[in-house]
Amino acid sequence: MIEIKNLNIHIKDNHILKDVNVTFPEKQITCIIGPSGCGKTTLLRTLNRLIDSVEGVRMDGQVLVDGQDIIHSGAEITELRRKIGLVSQRPCPLPMSIFDNVAYGCRINKMFKNRRQLIYHVQKNLKAVGLLEEVKGRIRTPAARLSIGQQQRLCLARSLAVQPDYILADEATSALDPISAKTVEDLFVKLKADYSIIMVTHTLRQALRIADNVVFMYLGEVVETGPANQVFNNPQHELTQKYLTGAFS
Amino acid sequence: MRKSRIIKDKVAHGTMFALTIIAILMVVVIAIGLYLKSAPVLENKSLWSLLFSSEWRPMKGEFGFLPFIMGTIWVTILAILIALPISLLTAIYLTEYSKPVVRKFVFPALDILAALPSVIYGVWGVLVIVPWISQHVAPHFVEFSTGYTVLAAGIVLGVMVIPLLVSLFIEVFSSVPTDLREASLALGATRWQTTKKVVIRKTLPGILASTVLAISRAMGETIAVLMVCGCVIGIPKGILDACYPIPALIANNYGEMLSMPFYESALMFAALILFVVVLVFNLLSRIVLYRLENAEK
Amino acid sequence: MSIARKKRFIETVAKIFMWAAMFIVFGFVISVLWTIFSKGCKAMSWDMITKLPGGGFYIGKEGGFLNAIVGSLYIVGASTVLGLLISIPVVFFLNVYLTKDSKLAYVARMAFDVLFGVPSIVYGAFGFTIMIYFGLRTSLLGGIIVITLLIIPIFIRTMDEATRNFPRDILDASFALGATRWETLKVVVRQIAPGIATATLLSIGRAIGDAASVMFAAGYTDSIPTSLSQPAATLPLAVFFQLSSPIPEVVDRAYAAALVLTIIVFVLSICGRFITNRFSKNKV
Repeated sequence: MIEIKNLNIHIKDNHILKDVNVTFPEKQITCIIGPSGCGKTTLLRTLNRLIDSVEGVRMDGQVLVDGQDIIHSGAEITELRRKIGLVSQRPCPLPMSIFDNVAYGCRINKMFKNRRQLIYHVQKNLKAVGLLEEVKGRIRTPAARLSIGQQQRLCLARSLAVQPDYILADEATSALDPISAKTVEDLFVKLKADYSIIMVTHTLRQALRIADNVVFMYLGEVVETGPANQVFNNPQHELTQKYLTGAFS
Repeated sequence: MRKSRIIKDKVAHGTMFALTIIAILMVVVIAIGLYLKSAPVLENKSLWSLLFSSEWRPMKGEFGFLPFIMGTIWVTILAILIALPISLLTAIYLTEYSKPVVRKFVFPALDILAALPSVIYGVWGVLVIVPWISQHVAPHFVEFSTGYTVLAAGIVLGVMVIPLLVSLFIEVFSSVPTDLREASLALGATRWQTTKKVVIRKTLPGILASTVLAISRAMGETIAVLMVCGCVIGIPKGILDACYPIPALIANNYGEMLSMPFYESALMFAALILFVVVLVFNLLSRIVLYRLENAEK
Repeated sequence: MSIARKKRFIETVAKIFMWAAMFIVFGFVISVLWTIFSKGCKAMSWDMITKLPGGGFYIGKEGGFLNAIVGSLYIVGASTVLGLLISIPVVFFLNVYLTKDSKLAYVARMAFDVLFGVPSIVYGAFGFTIMIYFGLRTSLLGGIIVITLLIIPIFIRTMDEATRNFPRDILDASFALGATRWETLKVVVRQIAPGIATATLLSIGRAIGDAASVMFAAGYTDSIPTSLSQPAATLPLAVFFQLSSPIPEVVDRAYAAALVLTIIVFVLSICGRFITNRFSKNKV
């Protein structure tokens, strides 16, 4: 479980996240929604500390991943990042073969001693995203030659291969064609049996389709959060109502 | 009124076009000029004997460039061996790790290194590197050395190409999209693992091209090398031998060779060798670098 | 955990190496500057930069190297003007008249990159043959010609770099109003002037320090040239020739000349940085 308590983030003089308090339950899909520029992506990037590479960033508060505070204490960031997979907006295959892309994280983390285990593991994860059949016979060719939808699934397989507990998805389907987007979306639904998924999405309809929980953010603050049917059918806050009815986006 | 505007534009266009073409043609003109000048010696001797003989007796009309070619190669390789790791590590730090504070100090330092004239490096070499070699380095290996050696020239030249290499590397590394680094970091890779397995792997052609460019720069450097290389004709057997690279040969002898037959022509041939090698290296590496630059867009 | 620890250990080792590399770079900078300044300041005197070499100058009698300072200024001044006259139109042509992916622009940039890489000694040798072809002897004019040849690619390349980032939208906006390209140029000039100024200063810095090319072309003399056909001394050569003298006083002069040269290059480089920082703030 990931718990965020009183999280404040400043980048230089800008107060990006204001006193955020959220809990992301396990083995469910939580969608973060809100108008663009409201801090969704920043929140996501705080969870795996990729935000560290931003110039002049300051973090206060607590983010507890499985009870461990990842903001303070000399938390081992690389181990944290292994535990939390990321699927970004544009698929980003590493400059190597399909096989090596999936094997990359395993090798980095020295997960397997022998090669046969590694090959088996890579195949298992390619299968999990439905790519194994599609790339049969060209698993050693550069990943960049795949279609963009396949690339996104490859990135998902790559994240799964390091055996994470959580998956972060940052508008993971927005750069894809409708059919690939549907495939990826279905994958997420399937994967929630084994992983806790946190996804930022800009399409309300997607959130309606797949979310178990919803976090609505506006201008750096969490306005409303709760189970999907509650937030969508009976929003408590005026802003949430307006957003859901399309008054602004 | 309208007509004069258009005419003005046309005239400007024509002039600029002509100037651009003339400037481009400089490459060809230099090549032809040098070739014509070195034609006499080329007609008289075989290319093979010019390049691979080590008999250098201008008085008797024997021009074997091997000692000078070997001198150039020794010095250049040593310089690159010194400059490459330093520049690579510095560039990696500056692009992959550093905070702006660090860059604020390092960039001006590199600026200074880049701006200093060759002759200043020569003075530094004569005053610092040469005595250091003759007093502290050479005694461990040979009985006596003046310090004017391949090593001295290599160090001075190495320092001179560092700013060039660093700036080329920085350019190459910044062509790697941030997404790619983050994709690797998000899998639990450290910065160094990301650099080694993703950034360097992705930019390997660019790194090679930059290095080739630096090699061509190092090969043509004249004054600083001339001041510390020892200028002894002979193929160096080690880094503690004196050497005599091609640019130093041209610089040292050009004024005084008009009286000897073929001597001027031979020196022009030396300049032609230099020009051709630099030209080829430059073209190759620039094409690779352009490709990289455009791929990023 | 041991894998995480191993990762962190390698990370630390890598960082230490990088720090070491940067310290070495700093070490070189400090060593070079310290050498030049400590030797130069000791040898420096007012006479050095205000007097011509007197009788017996090269055996340690009095005098200075005003001839070299003036010679360098003449040559660099004249070739800067000539170089700008040729390269500014070329830069404008590449950036305003040609489209972004024009073949000619590609070839031109490639040619200038190659010319930029041609060693100065080759320019010197080539320039010298041209001079002889036209019946010129080592002279101020020869120096100017060779340095102009040398400086043009540097000018074009640095200015082109400064100009390339210029937003093409502004060009389009101007074209859309019906302006010709020549008229559009006037809009562009103001935007890219700082870039051109910086490029000029940096290129001058390189031209003034170049010794190999002027060696044959301009020669060396103890007096200030009064006409284009007389030879002219230059600062880098003043350093080079005097450093090899066995007489300490003469060597001292080399140090002083090196100091003067370094300071000139420094001032140029600092001005260049200053202009860049100053103007890049309020650029579009």
